[in-house]
Amino acid sequence: VKLRLSLNGEPVEGEVDSGTLLLDFLRARGLTGTKEGCGVGVCGACSVLIGSQPVSSCIYLAVCVDGADLWTAEGLAEREPSLARAFVEHEGMQCGICTPGQLVAASAYLLQDRPADEESIREFMSGNICRCTGYVSIVESVRSALGRV
Amino acid sequence: LAGFDFRTPDSIDGALEELAADGSVALAGGTSLVLMLKQDLVPASRVVWLGRISGLRGISSSPEGALAIGATTTVAEIAASSDVQRLQPALAEAAAHVGNPRVRAVATLGGGLVHADPRQDLPPVLLALGASATVRGRHGEREVSLERFFNGLMETDVADGEILTRVTVPAAPPGRRSCYMRFTPASEDDFPTVGVAAALDLDPDGSVRAAAVGLGGVAGRPVLVEEAAGILAGRRPGAAEVAELAAAAERACDPVDDQRGSPAYKRAMARVWTRRALERLLSAGR
Repeated sequence: VKLRLSLNGEPVEGEVDSGTLLLDFLRARGLTGTKEGCGVGVCGACSVLIGSQPVSSCIYLAVCVDGADLWTAEGLAEREPSLARAFVEHEGMQCGICTPGQLVAASAYLLQDRPADEESIREFMSGNICRCTGYVSIVESVRSALGRV
Repeated sequence: LAGFDFRTPDSIDGALEELAADGSVALAGGTSLVLMLKQDLVPASRVVWLGRISGLRGISSSPEGALAIGATTTVAEIAASSDVQRLQPALAEAAAHVGNPRVRAVATLGGGLVHADPRQDLPPVLLALGASATVRGRHGEREVSLERFFNGLMETDVADGEILTRVTVPAAPPGRRSCYMRFTPASEDDFPTVGVAAALDLDPDGSVRAAAVGLGGVAGRPVLVEEAAGILAGRRPGAAEVAELAAAAERACDPVDDQRGSPAYKRAMARVWTRRALERLLSAGR
């Protein structure tokens, strides 16, 4: 199946098998920031952004991104440097495996113009599991990126 | 995943033609179907994606206040819709708590209903609000009340070759109060052990004209508590009536034993959360 989309701001054309998961499509292109965690759409390690919506690429067919504006953590790190910097400054990571997904979720939070209070941030970011940080530093990173700390 | 013949019709009629072939399955958001394809639970030689059919997506309201929600409208769109928030706040409230933000961004109303996992959040709400589904096949369209839509675990009234096109929620009468409460002892993004939707239509003097309670997670399909109207109608409910309806909710359950609780625990929680939902509605106006 033929695909045309915008990937991290660049036009991309390609051919994929109908059964290819978006996760595998991205990793085969070298975009290995997108990780497989649980494989069932719960943990958030495979998060990518379609427009302003976060999506689990492990349960999304690559053929469904035809025509989409798709962003991965790699592209978002360049597009939203202040967000990546906030995660560094507030140590919003430890082992790093969930971090690309956290950046994608945080980008979606910023793009959707959601409230800056801690409870709203926690509610939204609860879809991205982190087994190291205890979440405090992740919430601080997002609040800092929102410019309200 | 094993490959399949992938079709992207741009009209409902086109989709119905594609679905006529043996081994065809309709794909909406895919949060359930792709998972099932990954586990080889659904044999599919052809996948017909409904995501390109603009007529299946979107929310409209009538001047009287009825809502029509297209089948491929996402859960996030329902949660964020000002029409849904204004006309049916319990539906918006439930939609805002389905799964996690990534599920809500992709999962669709129709896809969820046709998947018919009894632990979902929206079916009990739609049942309590008296919603109906429009189902279209190659030989015409029919309307099914949500009450008759679910046949059992992952079984619905939608036959092979048919598509659920939209869900209609009738206008809320004056004095309507409704809410949805979910009990998730594990994590917030889990399916609820029990989900309770309640709708009460109150006269100005506080007496109940109509009442409905829908339950999720406690049987092979979402349950409408049949005694609700009989117990509350014509009365100004106090603690005794609330307890009577909560006990009826407990009796309406037929739960399975799983990691979200034993059957006895789920029955007890259905009683407790029905009571809490009714108390919330009855105290709202005070």
